[in-house]
Amino acid sequence: MGAPRTLAARLLRAVVRLVPEESRDWALAMLHELDFIEGDWAAFFWALGSTSAILRHVASVSRAWSKQKRSQEAGMNNTGKKVLGVGLGILSALALVGCLFAGLRITGILFPGLGLEHSRWAYWLAVMAIPESIFVVATILLWRKKGPIAAGILATGLAMALHIGVHLALR
Amino acid sequence: MKLRLSPQTLLVLDAFLDHAEDWKYGYDLSRVTGLKSGTLYPILMRMAERKLLETEWEQGEPGKPPRHMYRFTPEGLQFARANAGAHVRRGLGQVALGLVEG
Repeated sequence: MGAPRTLAARLLRAVVRLVPEESRDWALAMLHELDFIEGDWAAFFWALGSTSAILRHVASVSRAWSKQKRSQEAGMNNTGKKVLGVGLGILSALALVGCLFAGLRITGILFPGLGLEHSRWAYWLAVMAIPESIFVVATILLWRKKGPIAAGILATGLAMALHIGVHLALR
Repeated sequence: MKLRLSPQTLLVLDAFLDHAEDWKYGYDLSRVTGLKSGTLYPILMRMAERKLLETEWEQGEPGKPPRHMYRFTPEGLQFARANAGAHVRRGLGQVALGLVEG
């Protein structure tokens, strides 16, 4: 075995040892072909070409892997952001209803002459009409730019409307 | 199942189409197509990744290492037949456009 062939075999053996699992079969294939190549210099150039091919393969596999990882991370971030947005929307909607309800009670206590404590209409207005109107307007305004928050607000509005609908139907 | 049909890829497809059912070796393909290993193997890898080629290790004779063999999958054969002669058509197009002399 001439020196160029020996060098070629050493080079390809080193490549086989060093490349990751995904490229190893190909590196082995190139190494094993060496035994069937006539001419030492042909074997040497075969090894050089093979090494360049396998390095490019490793690079492309790494690129594909990191691209996949990035897109997975982006997907996870997006899902997290969406869930957070919906939660924020629900919380904002509930806070609004709570504030209106508390405002009504406080007004009733501070100004008993208004008779808000016993006014059914005042309650419908504070718990149903005003919040639902605000929800509809907020959903329309936020839908394009803050979709998840709008969805959270809309979901709360629908849940409230359903709750009141069931309440009315049962009475 | 996209594969860039470079002239080298077309040469490899043509080499596989010759006795398409037979297994072929890397070095033999290199000799038939005239492509160096640095050009041939990336094409084989891409074809295998796109499931156009199936690969197998041949249990060789004692004292000889097992060889990696390649053969068209049914999809590969279909793809190659659909693109057979693409280089001829491309060549004719170049002649028609006056890009090839003589």
